[in-house]
Amino acid sequence: MALFITKRLLMALATVLVVAVLAFLLVHAMPGSPGAVSLGAGASQEAIDEVNARLGWNDPLVVQFVRWLGDAVQGNLGTSLIDGRSVSDDLANRLPVTASLAAGATLLSGVLGVALGVTAAVRGGMVDRIVGGICGMAVALPAFWIGIIFVYLLAVQSSVFPATGYVPFEASPQDWALSLALPVITLAVGGAAFIARQTRASMLEALQQEHIRTLRATATPTWKILYVHALRYASLPIVAGIALQFIGLFGGSVIAEQLFAMPGLGQAVQTSVSTHDAPSVQGVVVIATVVVVAVNLVLELATKFLDPKLRAS
Amino acid sequence: MIPNVAPAPADSTAAAAAALPKSGPKAAFTKVSAHRLFASPGGVAGVLWLAALVVASLTAPLWLPFKTEDQDFTAVLSGPTAAHWLGTDELGRDLLSRIFASAAGTLGTSFITVIVAVGLGTILAMASAALGDRVEAVISRVTEIMMSVPGTVIILAVIGAVGTNIPVIMAILGILISAGIYRVMLGQAKSLQSQLYVDAAKVDGVSTLGISLRHVLPGLTNTIVVQSALIFAVGMLIQAGLAFIGFGPPIPQPSWGGMIQGASQHVYDAPWLMVPTGAVLALTVLAANAIGNALGKAPNAAASHLPSAAARRQRAKAVAAVGAAQVAAGTDAPPAKGQLSVRGLSVGVDGGPRLVTDVSFDVEQGTVLGLVGESGCGKTMTALSLLGLLPSGVVATGGQILWNGKNLAAATDREMEAIRGRDIALISQEPMRALDPMFTVGYQLTSAIRRLRKVGKAEARKEARSLLEKVGIVDAGRILKTYPHQISGGMAQRVAIALALSGRPRLLVADEPTTALDVTVQAEILSLLRSLVKDTGMSVVMVTHDLGVVADICDQVAVMYAGQVVENGKTANILDNPRHPYTLALLAADPHANHAADMPERLATISGQVPQPKDWPTGCRFMARCQFAGSACAAPVPLLPSGSEDGLVRCVKADELAVEGLEWVATEVPTHRLLDLTPTRTNVVEKDMA
Repeated sequence: MALFITKRLLMALATVLVVAVLAFLLVHAMPGSPGAVSLGAGASQEAIDEVNARLGWNDPLVVQFVRWLGDAVQGNLGTSLIDGRSVSDDLANRLPVTASLAAGATLLSGVLGVALGVTAAVRGGMVDRIVGGICGMAVALPAFWIGIIFVYLLAVQSSVFPATGYVPFEASPQDWALSLALPVITLAVGGAAFIARQTRASMLEALQQEHIRTLRATATPTWKILYVHALRYASLPIVAGIALQFIGLFGGSVIAEQLFAMPGLGQAVQTSVSTHDAPSVQGVVVIATVVVVAVNLVLELATKFLDPKLRAS
Repeated sequence: MIPNVAPAPADSTAAAAAALPKSGPKAAFTKVSAHRLFASPGGVAGVLWLAALVVASLTAPLWLPFKTEDQDFTAVLSGPTAAHWLGTDELGRDLLSRIFASAAGTLGTSFITVIVAVGLGTILAMASAALGDRVEAVISRVTEIMMSVPGTVIILAVIGAVGTNIPVIMAILGILISAGIYRVMLGQAKSLQSQLYVDAAKVDGVSTLGISLRHVLPGLTNTIVVQSALIFAVGMLIQAGLAFIGFGPPIPQPSWGGMIQGASQHVYDAPWLMVPTGAVLALTVLAANAIGNALGKAPNAAASHLPSAAARRQRAKAVAAVGAAQVAAGTDAPPAKGQLSVRGLSVGVDGGPRLVTDVSFDVEQGTVLGLVGESGCGKTMTALSLLGLLPSGVVATGGQILWNGKNLAAATDREMEAIRGRDIALISQEPMRALDPMFTVGYQLTSAIRRLRKVGKAEARKEARSLLEKVGIVDAGRILKTYPHQISGGMAQRVAIALALSGRPRLLVADEPTTALDVTVQAEILSLLRSLVKDTGMSVVMVTHDLGVVADICDQVAVMYAGQVVENGKTANILDNPRHPYTLALLAADPHANHAADMPERLATISGQVPQPKDWPTGCRFMARCQFAGSACAAPVPLLPSGSEDGLVRCVKADELAVEGLEWVATEVPTHRLLDLTPTRTNVVEKDMA
């Protein structure tokens, strides 16, 4: 087990490193030197060169990367070329926003999706077809379109929820929850459909297993067969599906952040990409990767724990 | 949200198959079939919509009422009108024109993602399968990394570097998605690669590439098409999402995502604007998904062992019908207590062919009845109907199963639940699969004991241990703590028997309990069953195709062929003095039934196969394969006394055969097909009855 964790940790580190190199190269391929970006149009070539020299832009790439890595390990991701703020501080402020969004949406889609998927598999017939139809629609509708409709119905027409904006949890837990509600619901529609399909398929597969017949032959009550034995058997792929959902939402939340004016990581990528703010892009890619890789690691340990065959080995 | 980039959001079955690779190789060998696509209304609608969209979009300059940039300031933000069928945007541009003019670009660039993702994923999967474990390990590691990065963020960083060059972005998106495709394809490619005919091709000197292209790729075709359709939908959604957040084609060029973005600015004053573009985008995604799902539907998925609520309602109806028929027919004198009496039982697929027809037999208390015959003769269906555990979609359609004064064929689910485990128990063929892999042996055993004997936890644990000891497990304490995958097959079958005994049943239904076990273990399990019958006085219905098992343990035998009992009687009578040609043939084909001294030069075979239920003739069902068949066999044959004690036989020629003492003879194999071995008494042809 210790060996397994060590191996996985090394793998995770390698992943982050690969992505960091990749992001570094991508950022360097962005049009405009840091000097040109930070000074804006109309700056003299001398001024631009001076800034570039100060930032070490002319050093060999390897030197620049090692310097960046050294700083990054100490928690310093550089300063924004646009407003000169610390990228680390900025992202530290944004991380809770995206984390709340992604966690909320994953939780909601997990609960809804598992409930719908199990219902479809267990009830069968008409119920199955209706759930299947709804899921098909939900997967096909783009989240941003659904989001706008929610804004129109729930914020504009009935003003139950604030249409846009984010309130930090520390400021007011209640407003925090309200401000998250619409974006979370928006993101959860497609997520719940995805998980419902996964759950339904896994439950049906579980119910085809021969040990279900043994359970019936020993007079196990139907509810117990369904919700203890079959669901337990189906839990592996379902948990994997939910984790994939979280990974997808982390960063995939950019649309919801844009739509609901949430100052999260997605919004940070979007603005920094538009403004060619290299250190910010680099920082956000690495931070998002670290989070996603960490979630993957937890997921792997969870599957290891859920599956007796893996646990024993 | 930009849909999940990391995993291929495969259709549910493919995703499940990827997560649980044990679903078997069966699905691997389906080829793409157009008829499956056109058999599904969704698939047809999807094809029609996509075709119409492509045609409309490519011919757009010919028929569109407006140019995409035409501004009509007299009709800004209008709803549908005669001039503007789908309304106009904030600059008075015609929505219909803009939607269809931009369709070709959207579809085309999404297709780039499909080609890159599916192409690369397939090539990687085939390479992994063909080039061995080391290559597979490397590729799998790389794809693992690709799948565990935040795809959306990376795509945005790429946009930062290359700008909003849509084809390039869609191609890079394809590379990211290919990792998911690889995962879906790998298992299938490996299973195709490990086929025997691939080994044969290798021996014949076909190159690795040749094998991949000729033997593996064709088998992947259907999955490729299914994944392509699904990725196409994903590509469109992501592309629209990117355009929505401002990374679409340069303004004023129209794009679906950009148009929805524009509409979102006017959701307060012109909500209609959202509808046309959103609907076209959603319909197109739906169409692609529908095509993928129609093609991806696994044919003949295994039946559920716990029917859904809807299936149970149907079954209840069938059961009620059987019950009503019974009332109309009236019942015979009830059999003695502890005796099972099956009369005229029929089992069939709901609304489909019959699988078992008019089966009757009795099992006295404390005796063992063998149900024998080849596969596909209805033995297992007959046995499972005794417990009301027929697979989903299969029902008892008539007749009676009389047990303790009750007709189980007409019993409701609830009534059967009271009987299962307590009165009638089951042990099945594959002990490993019969036990729940997720729970310990101890949990499964004690919870069954607590439920069936209504005892407390501590007592149940004690009882579980003593049951395991009773079925011959020495270190019961250790076995209780293990999971099923940690014990051997023979051990698992002992556990399964202990589980079956936990409710102190009076009747045990054993469905080929020794078939999956080693020969030495088989003997142990049989002797265990024999001693259990002696000690507990329970009866056993033993399904088997092994006449050795029958001779070993059964008191009575019912030989089944094509859903009918063809011969029935005491074991000794049937084995020594078979009356039905099928029984004769089975005995002649069994190497163990022939004594070493009079072992024939060549064992007999039964030519042909058991007919499918839909092909059953009205006359004798064995006629087509019978060496003694005559014209009289074409008429329906009743089950009549065979003349040896209480035996019954279903053959018009039974008396004739008995008088003449005919034997089932080995058919001549043409000499040119014989292997030229030394003339010893080897079994050149052995009928495999499994």
